[in-house]
Amino acid sequence: MNIRAIVSRPWIWGFAAAVLVWAIIMAISGQGGGQTVSLALSLAPYLVVVGLGQMLVITAGPGNIDVSVASIISLAGFVSVGVAASTGSATVGILAGIGVGVLVATISTVAILGLSVPPIIATLAAGLVASSVTLSLANGFTAVPDPGLRQLLNVRPAGIPVLAVAVAALTGLVIVLLRRTVYGRSLLAVGQNRRAAERAGIPVARVIATTYLVSGALAGLTGALLAAYIAPSADLGTRYLLDSVAVVVIGGTLISGGRAVPVGVWGAGLFFILLDGLVNLVGWSTAAQNLLKGGLVLFVLFLAGGGDRAGGTASRFRRRPRPAAATTTTTGDNTHG
Amino acid sequence: MDNRGPRAGEPVVIAKGVTKTYGRTRALTGVDLEVRAGEVLGLVGHNGAGKSTLMRVLAGLEACDEGAVLVHGNEVSGAAGPRAENFRAVRMAYQETSLCPDLTVAENIWVSSRHCLPRLGWRRAASDAVRRRLDEMFPGHGVTPRDRVEDLSLAQRQMVEITRASLVDRLDLLILDEPTESLGPDAARSLYDYVRTLTAAGTAVLLISHRIREVLSVADRVAVLRDGAVTAERFAEGLGEQDVLELMGAHVAVPSDRERTAARAAGDGADRPVVAELRGATGPGLREVSLRVGAGEVVGLAGLAGQGQQEVLERLWRPVRRDTTVVGTRAYVPGDRQRSGVLPLWSVAENLIVTAMRGLARQGLRRPAEERAAVGDWVERLAIRGGADAGITELSGGNQQKVIVARAFASTAELVLLDDPFRGVDVHTKTDLYGLIRQEAAQGRSVVWYSSENAEMAHCDRVYVFRAGRVVAELVGEEISEERIIAVSFAESESDGEQSNE
Repeated sequence: MNIRAIVSRPWIWGFAAAVLVWAIIMAISGQGGGQTVSLALSLAPYLVVVGLGQMLVITAGPGNIDVSVASIISLAGFVSVGVAASTGSATVGILAGIGVGVLVATISTVAILGLSVPPIIATLAAGLVASSVTLSLANGFTAVPDPGLRQLLNVRPAGIPVLAVAVAALTGLVIVLLRRTVYGRSLLAVGQNRRAAERAGIPVARVIATTYLVSGALAGLTGALLAAYIAPSADLGTRYLLDSVAVVVIGGTLISGGRAVPVGVWGAGLFFILLDGLVNLVGWSTAAQNLLKGGLVLFVLFLAGGGDRAGGTASRFRRRPRPAAATTTTTGDNTHG
Repeated sequence: MDNRGPRAGEPVVIAKGVTKTYGRTRALTGVDLEVRAGEVLGLVGHNGAGKSTLMRVLAGLEACDEGAVLVHGNEVSGAAGPRAENFRAVRMAYQETSLCPDLTVAENIWVSSRHCLPRLGWRRAASDAVRRRLDEMFPGHGVTPRDRVEDLSLAQRQMVEITRASLVDRLDLLILDEPTESLGPDAARSLYDYVRTLTAAGTAVLLISHRIREVLSVADRVAVLRDGAVTAERFAEGLGEQDVLELMGAHVAVPSDRERTAARAAGDGADRPVVAELRGATGPGLREVSLRVGAGEVVGLAGLAGQGQQEVLERLWRPVRRDTTVVGTRAYVPGDRQRSGVLPLWSVAENLIVTAMRGLARQGLRRPAEERAAVGDWVERLAIRGGADAGITELSGGNQQKVIVARAFASTAELVLLDDPFRGVDVHTKTDLYGLIRQEAAQGRSVVWYSSENAEMAHCDRVYVFRAGRVVAELVGEEISEERIIAVSFAESESDGEQSNE
């Protein structure tokens, strides 16, 4: 494995950026780096879970995006805390959170597949429905998160949060899902060329429905966990809309669909959490933080140039001076440019 | 019109020792070619012989690795790469059209010809120009400049593509890459009439086509491309189809009659169990169509392009209406492989197995060992160049099409629908694939095959000929012949005009 092969892995950049930001934090604060990493590892999993769902949706091809995740997180937070308090079981609470996510995603799915509404509008509308329910729930909400679950989320043996390990396992599951299951391969095929996938006998509608429902479920799970970790609030999920899309893109997943990079979501997630820490350390405002993040996403999209597919065709037109001797031994470097 | 212009005019574009490599594929191994003013040069060769690449180099879209391209005697494309302004007067109409599907026809004209349109009022100028040229080239085309390209039929898109290429203030060389693959005979004839007007005015035309008879009837000279180099250049006069096929190194594809009759002797279709049936199907593009597909039968849908054959395939692919019955599973082989065939990010293996994967899987989990075995089998059986691990987009069009065909047949589908899949595929590959279809039918698979090439129908057990959404004839066994199909599909209106086309 040479350097070139490593550099061409799309997920490497998120981790590289995370390490860079980590080094800067250490240099500025002058404290031990272990604590920073441990803190990042306890915050990043929430972003990774919702990011994995967003990644699957974006992989389904051009136009597919789930902008309801922020509202789902907020709503699922209230519902799971409320249900957990009234039933006395944190597990039932989490399941209720996931259920709420699936429910909201069902609205989006029906609108997208049944009424042919563009996904961005459909999920926006479903998100609005969720938001209004959240607001009515938030009025006079008194229940407090389950203390047992909160404790569990704060357990850090050897500085590594239990949740990070669990979410790492979940990421592994998503990798297996994409590589080894019929659904995963179908999703990648649909994302590359929907017409071709349909002609190849893939049930496109079912694949897309599943994808949105999984994204909703993962957002619901995020909301349930996050509400237990922090506290339910109406703007619990707000920052996760931009962030979930950003970690997917920075993680190396093709914005045009057909290629998903689950590991990249981790790298980009850690990068974002550390970046938050850094700008807090420097003392920037939230507005400046968002400006920085938005700029980063645009920058990455600019670098990626729409991904391999577009890059491949672009390099065919690019003028490429070649040494006259290079003939047969060139091994496909123009397809990865 | 009958004067084809000067035989040996000034060379317009010259290629000298041009080579080009993509990834693992050596597309051009050293091409020497000269195109002279006022002539039609036909270029023939198998798919994968390097025709498309050569065209791209000659049109200045791509740099060559070695050698040089000369336009009017000036070297313009060496290793440093071509410059657009040197190639202004060289235009190319692509086999898979280069039009932007979301733009209108007039807007597409602007995209490729903006240097010869006014800055203000370009839309009107482009509309006028394209309407005039379309009327000249393809009378009765049915395209208006305000149509979105996506809404046009394949044939209309091809017409617009050719028109787009020809619309420029000065045209020295027009490259036509498989221009008639999706055109009907009428449109093809009027296109070639226009080509002669062009050459009479001193423009050179480079014609690439698999239809050798067509090339011979239009071209002044014929160049044969084989394995990335020009292996022969002849004057078209006195040259026969057989001669060209031999120069291309092809074993001439003669449908083996013995095999066919043997297959038919097993049963003429009436006593076979019915796999699919249409009973008086009526709808957009279809009127009272009844047809029947038996197990292990190859059923052809013939006739001119766009007479309802694709609508029948669509009905069989998604049998939602009550007048359609399909028993068992189906697989589809699309003809428009860029739009509805290829999955561009994947390798040959991944593209090939995507349909069969579902049948092989257990509880939604793939079985990689079985998949690999199936892929290995098919790559070998169809001799797919580049092997299983090559990226699908690295392959030539013919090899891509093999993968798409293999995708359908690798599945367990009992009914395979072919949507004119062999357009632009070389003779060799076609012969292989015809054999494959017969083998699979012999094993009990049913095939419904729409083709715009009537000669292909000889490989069918039964052929339904379509005209204007109706079945106008059902031919069985010995009745199936090119002449017969042509006669039936043109029946009333064009029976006399047909002779001059052949």
